Amino acid sequence: MAPDIEVDSLDVWYGQARALKEVTLHLGPGKVLALIGPSGCGKSTFLRVLNRMIDRAPQVRVKGAVRVGAFEVLAGDVDVTALRRTVGMVFQQPNPFPMTIFDNVAYGPRIAGLRQMAKLRQTVEDSLKKAALWDEVRGKLRRSAMSLSGGQQQRLCIARALAVNPQVLLLDEPTASLDPVSTAKIEELIVQFKTHYTMVIVTHNLQQAARVSDAVAFFEHGRLVEMGPTHDIFTAPRERRTEEFLTGRV
Amino acid sequence: MIRQSFHQELAQLEQELIRMGALVEDQLRRAVRSLTDRNITLARQVIEEDDRVDAMEMDIERRCLTLLALQQPLASDLRVVSTALKIITDLERMADHASDIAKVTVRLNQEPLIKPLVDIPEMARIASSMVRLALNAYIHRSIEEAMTMIRLDDDVDHLYARVFRELLDIMRTRPDTVAQGTYLLFVANYIERVADHATNLGEWVIYMVTGQRKELND
Repeated sequence: MAPDIEVDSLDVWYGQARALKEVTLHLGPGKVLALIGPSGCGKSTFLRVLNRMIDRAPQVRVKGAVRVGAFEVLAGDVDVTALRRTVGMVFQQPNPFPMTIFDNVAYGPRIAGLRQMAKLRQTVEDSLKKAALWDEVRGKLRRSAMSLSGGQQQRLCIARALAVNPQVLLLDEPTASLDPVSTAKIEELIVQFKTHYTMVIVTHNLQQAARVSDAVAFFEHGRLVEMGPTHDIFTAPRERRTEEFLTGRV
Repeated sequence: MIRQSFHQELAQLEQELIRMGALVEDQLRRAVRSLTDRNITLARQVIEEDDRVDAMEMDIERRCLTLLALQQPLASDLRVVSTALKIITDLERMADHASDIAKVTVRLNQEPLIKPLVDIPEMARIASSMVRLALNAYIHRSIEEAMTMIRLDDDVDHLYARVFRELLDIMRTRPDTVAQGTYLLFVANYIERVADHATNLGEWVIYMVTGQRKELND
């Protein structure tokens, strides 16, 4: 069951620099939220809070409340490993591990303790099918992941994320380095995944946000300027700043 | 910067739209004048000019589709382009009605009128002023100006009802007037439709400004 995401008065500082300012929003279960805004507006920071990737940034301070389903993300006693299994992430550059296609997808389940080869095979197959890569790599599972094209590598990374049965997917500009055909495949996956996973995607491609998302949040200077249904934001945003960004009048 | 050239193209698009609107308003005035003045030469000009309106519609439509495909406008820019696409359809229909009225002039030829034309020219005056006001509302991005369509459309509707009754009475008492009476009813109906299309323009202006669709004539 895909969880909802609730963020309340979220602040993030990198040293003295405040990256997010009192961000409050709610995303319903199984919905796709697109984060848009100029570079440095805080959208990637926001994404990284949701699975505590933010912890790795130097001198970072986070304040506020973030809940992903049952996880109180910022609570001191949260099981970060379990959180990251629930909240999978796909990055801008495809980052397959330097190992076989099979081992890439099996990596997470193995770490989680799955040892039975038959189950492992099934999980790998299921995940590759969900990521629409199975037909292209069946029979080649022992080849290096590095032999795949960029678009295939990105779908492999999605399969790898899916292999541990996440409920949320965070996508940080997942098609920024891909050609239009590979981009279309990834977007199609996002649309198919709807309702099964709650998704948050950072994208600089406004048309992509329009195509795949249910809701759009516009960030600027670390603030959430406006969030609303995708149709409303792209046809008639409420805020002047959003309007100016979308029409290139900034 | 690419957005700057896009906004210049948007401004050009608006100019073309205003030019088309002015031509349609003129067509309507001349069509009704051709009828009241029994001027068949003028009527034929109106009929011929309709091709120009059609050409303008196609040209603006092509511009809009190019902008949508190449610039993928959003927010108010998207509304400006989609509004233009809708407005030109209404304008083109109005021009068709002007041409229809001119055809009635040609058909009646110099046949004496069964009644002096008073309300029909008044309907046409209001309807063509609605076209101009709607275009002004478009230029000024003015909801107030767009809202004036409601009252003017009501005025046209009332006149239409009156013309309808009068012509029906005449046709009932003088069966030899049925042919011309029917043509004049057509004319009144065309003008009433023009006013409805002008009301649509007002609705599109409100959409363009606010992003909300609002029915002005119910």
